[in-house]
Amino acid sequence: MSNATKTPATGTALLEVKDLVVHFPIGQGQFIRPVDRVSFSIGPGEVLSLVGESGSGKSTIGKALVRMIEPADGSIIVGGRDVTHIRGREIKEYRKEAQMVFQDPFGSLNPTRSIEQHLAFPVRKYRANKGVSVSEQIDELLTKVGLTPVAETRRKFPHELSGGQRQRVAIARALAVNPKFIVADEPISMLDVSIRAGVLKLMNDLRNDLNLAFLYITHDLASARYIGNRIMVLYGGKVMETAPSAELIKAPTHPYTRLLLTATPGTRHRGPLPETSNSAPNLLEGRKGCPFANRCPLVTDVCRNEEPPLRELSSGHAVACHHPA
Amino acid sequence: MADNKPVLEIEDLSVAYVTGSGLVHAVNDVNLQVYPNEIVGLIGESGSGKSTMAYTIMRLLKGDAVVTKGRVKILGQDVYQLSKKELRQFRWSKMAMVFQSAMSALNPVMTVETQILDALLSHRKDMTKEQARARARELMELVRIDPKHLKSYPHELSGGMRQRVVIAIAIALNPALVIMDEPTTALDVVVQRSILDEIRKIQQEVGFAILFVSHDFSLVAELASRVAIMYAGRIIEVTPSDLLHLQEKHHPYTEGLLKAIPELTAEDVTIQGIGGYPPDLQDLPSGCAFHPRCPYATDICRRVRPEKLAVGDKLIECHLFSEKELVSHV
Repeated sequence: MSNATKTPATGTALLEVKDLVVHFPIGQGQFIRPVDRVSFSIGPGEVLSLVGESGSGKSTIGKALVRMIEPADGSIIVGGRDVTHIRGREIKEYRKEAQMVFQDPFGSLNPTRSIEQHLAFPVRKYRANKGVSVSEQIDELLTKVGLTPVAETRRKFPHELSGGQRQRVAIARALAVNPKFIVADEPISMLDVSIRAGVLKLMNDLRNDLNLAFLYITHDLASARYIGNRIMVLYGGKVMETAPSAELIKAPTHPYTRLLLTATPGTRHRGPLPETSNSAPNLLEGRKGCPFANRCPLVTDVCRNEEPPLRELSSGHAVACHHPA
Repeated sequence: MADNKPVLEIEDLSVAYVTGSGLVHAVNDVNLQVYPNEIVGLIGESGSGKSTMAYTIMRLLKGDAVVTKGRVKILGQDVYQLSKKELRQFRWSKMAMVFQSAMSALNPVMTVETQILDALLSHRKDMTKEQARARARELMELVRIDPKHLKSYPHELSGGMRQRVVIAIAIALNPALVIMDEPTTALDVVVQRSILDEIRKIQQEVGFAILFVSHDFSLVAELASRVAIMYAGRIIEVTPSDLLHLQEKHHPYTEGLLKAIPELTAEDVTIQGIGGYPPDLQDLPSGCAFHPRCPYATDICRRVRPEKLAVGDKLIECHLFSEKELVSHV
């Protein structure tokens, strides 16, 4: 593996999420829970890959982490500070530590502003007093994300850039505040194949050079493995399995992880998929049992009635399943 | 397969979009054949011309796009020689298309049944409504949806089910060729896999040819028997899909794409992107359009456009191979 750094022990974690719950009202006093008691930690310079299908809760976790939404329960501790319920001014301050890069590099940039304007704003607002001119800092950011020659890039508008270049601008803008970690929500899924590798490598370099931590949100196991020290598999708002990346791919123990692996193109799997239906998970608050039970080939009565706890199988490898392989 | 007559023959096809600032050459001198019961993959990145190809074959190009050269024949019939009325009959009964977005391909205010009946009855005047209903049920079973959903509206179905309905409509009239334009791109990986499995099964059961347009290499390599790779409007390589790996010699662009995809189960995961960015179709590079991004480019690549060469079972448009040929023959 190109990126096998050790998972730091808890206590030295940069970010510590405990029993995170996000819920949304759906009327008549009922709620859905797209995120249901999720816990994890990320160390400095570590990349955690969050993998799941649409509706698994992965993007909601990302948004809760940068506090675009407020959790209903649980806690988010960043650098020793509880940011779970901070408000207003405190959130603005917190943005210096936590930044987000979105999936759509067309929607996340303002079409009427030049690249220079995009970067000048956060540079001025957050780090203007460092003895380096704003202009120099913009050049430095653009160089860091590989958008050279900088003089040319600065003058351009988003529509003059390709998707990959725009995503690099989005990353540069996130870097402008000198964050400790970045939530990257499907940052390459809208890019062309030949361009994806470059953006992934850029994130890898930033992790190594700046000791920057990432929460990398994706539906693609291959890129999750490439960039992530660890992979966490989500289903129906719950953690199904988490392990060091290579181990999760080589020795998956949860039936859902195995289903995902089987379905991934390139594995040349033939024959029926290991699932009993393709129904969506029940996200209603107060549901019983394992969210994967109605699709699981190994299901028994206990799975429908009791929610399996997340148990550690070996160091760093945990699974929430009554019948792990 | 050589004794078979192709279902689809594309001959020297060029397509351009007319814009205020000049012509955009989206498809350039493309030749491709698809044979009965064959699945051919058409791979390319955005702007490579793959979707334009699909629309050109269906004769669905909008007003600002023009076929500047070449022919498209389906079952020997030149699609562009048909009258409007003939084309309406020809489409869907001989060639059909599955679009990327099932939601926009289906009518939101009509039930699934009405839409399938529509397709059947407008093309088959001899069919009674009862026969059409029976066929609709049969089609639903073929794509593995409970026929009770015939009474459903599109919004009541999941994304995967909607795409199955679209496939059912596409094959309703037993066309010889079905063009699928990124049919599973918007779907989750498990749903995507189950739909691909179904496409393969139905294709074997019913028998039709598929031109499968996609940007996803590993997916196409699994589904198709042959793969055509497009860059800047040209097919730069055609290869059997089981040769689509790095142990084989390929066009430098194909090689670059293969290196850019992280391998899921490999011992050591390394990836390498292709430098630079896709070309401006309004101002294509001289010679080989890939030369500004090609790590092997030499002087001739900047000056002369390479010819297509047979390299084993592959067809490759690259000077690298012609030079090698020369060297080995001198």
